[in-house]
Amino acid sequence: MSSVRGRAWFERITGGAELVTGLPPSVLAADMTLDGHAVRVIAVVPDANARFPLARKGDVGIDEGFGVAHAVSGTPLKSAILAIVDVPGQAFGTREEAVGLQRALAASANAYIRARRGGHPVYALVVGKAISGAFLAHGLQAGWIGALDDPGIEVHVMSEAAVARVTRMERADITRLASEIPATARDIRSFATFGAIDRIFEVGNPDAPSDVDLEMVVRALAGALRTPELGLRNPRERLDRPGALQTRALARRVREELQAQWDA
Amino acid sequence: MSALLLAESFAERGARERARALLDAQSFRELIGPFERLASPYLAAQGVVPQSDDGCVVARGTIGGKRACVVATDGRFLGGSVGEIGGAKIAGALELARRDAERGTPTRTVLALDTGGIRLQEANLGILAVTEICDAIVALRMLQPVVAVIAGRVGVYGGLSLSTALCSQIIVSEGARVGLNGPDVVETESGIEEMDSSDRPLIWRVTGGRMRFEQGFATALVADDVEAIRAAVQHAFEAPRELGPLEPQAFPDPRLDLDTFLRAMGIES
Repeated sequence: MSSVRGRAWFERITGGAELVTGLPPSVLAADMTLDGHAVRVIAVVPDANARFPLARKGDVGIDEGFGVAHAVSGTPLKSAILAIVDVPGQAFGTREEAVGLQRALAASANAYIRARRGGHPVYALVVGKAISGAFLAHGLQAGWIGALDDPGIEVHVMSEAAVARVTRMERADITRLASEIPATARDIRSFATFGAIDRIFEVGNPDAPSDVDLEMVVRALAGALRTPELGLRNPRERLDRPGALQTRALARRVREELQAQWDA
Repeated sequence: MSALLLAESFAERGARERARALLDAQSFRELIGPFERLASPYLAAQGVVPQSDDGCVVARGTIGGKRACVVATDGRFLGGSVGEIGGAKIAGALELARRDAERGTPTRTVLALDTGGIRLQEANLGILAVTEICDAIVALRMLQPVVAVIAGRVGVYGGLSLSTALCSQIIVSEGARVGLNGPDVVETESGIEEMDSSDRPLIWRVTGGRMRFEQGFATALVADDVEAIRAAVQHAFEAPRELGPLEPQAFPDPRLDLDTFLRAMGIES
């Protein structure tokens, strides 16, 4: 099912700011000023007429990957970037694989990394699904990530059906393990335990944000924009967040041992 | 010695032997080796037997006499999938190579990947690690070449194929495959009419190493031969020939005549 959230939040936050041209219809971008801070807002949305049929429901496909890359790399000097994330998947198709979907998604990840390392603070707001390669391409490279607290939000690497097929596990076991082991969970609160989510918002209507919902989120974004260092953080720094000290202790230990043994 | 030298397969070797093969003779030194028993606690909890190196080998040594580091994943262990420990090994090695480059003691860095992608039993930890790997590759690439070798039985898929596409040079073998979504996943998500995962000729035509090289997605196409792959790696550092940039294009992408391309691939557009 196509999701309406990405467009809804994009439109409410940008308040009708003029769209950046030269992008596929499934990639929305607009430049605005939020509490005095210049920011380019970018969202991937469904396009019922997209030339790749499997990318019509808001998935990140070939045109979306390169389109987001184009939008990010065109960010005006000194402007921050805000990615609105509602991406149900990476287009699962033969055409996509033939053209090289990994490169399209790499293009947008590359653009976000270069923008952030080039001095543009990058923020993300997860309002819907944040799935796998689509999230890697659009959102996960942000220095600061906020998310709505809502059961409609899913963060995962692969659908349960595909996990069952690849691992030859029963669906019921996959569901049970997800409730026991946060590393395999699909909800935003579990994902947040690993230190990558900076703020969780409880909103009244995630599909059609009310004025109250909008004000709360915009106020938090403005606060984060006032501290550009937040948007400039590299993903490596997530390992030092309070939650990650326990939940990612092994990743931290591997870093320490590698460093100790690097030069014999 | 016989005049007839048989090719020595790279794909038939395990991760440790692949890393050893890419480094200069006698220079291999493994970091966090299997005797340190840093194995995934998540696998045992899900009824899967872990491996003491987590299916990922980091080795220091030299390549062409220069400081080097090779990271290799083991395609025979859970499809080479990358979880918390393996992901931290890859990201950590890239981060240290970047530190070396900043200090003026560059380390030639090779990712010899053979992986189906993020390990599903550690999904959230895997995706966070891949985010760090992507950032670390781009950061290192700003200072020196980052070379990927894709010459295993699995190839590269999933989050790791996205990461690999960020490398400055990619050496691919004819037997390897490179794609984002594996055939089983495409078939499950989009139906057998979209992809029949048992149609091996289609899969190799679409995602095989030769196709990727011809598309310009790899800098070298090699046979499954240790010496040929070693030579390609050396060459990659001595005569860097960077892959075409992933520069974003205006829409629609003028490089892609989709209908013509798909017809040539025998895919209905």
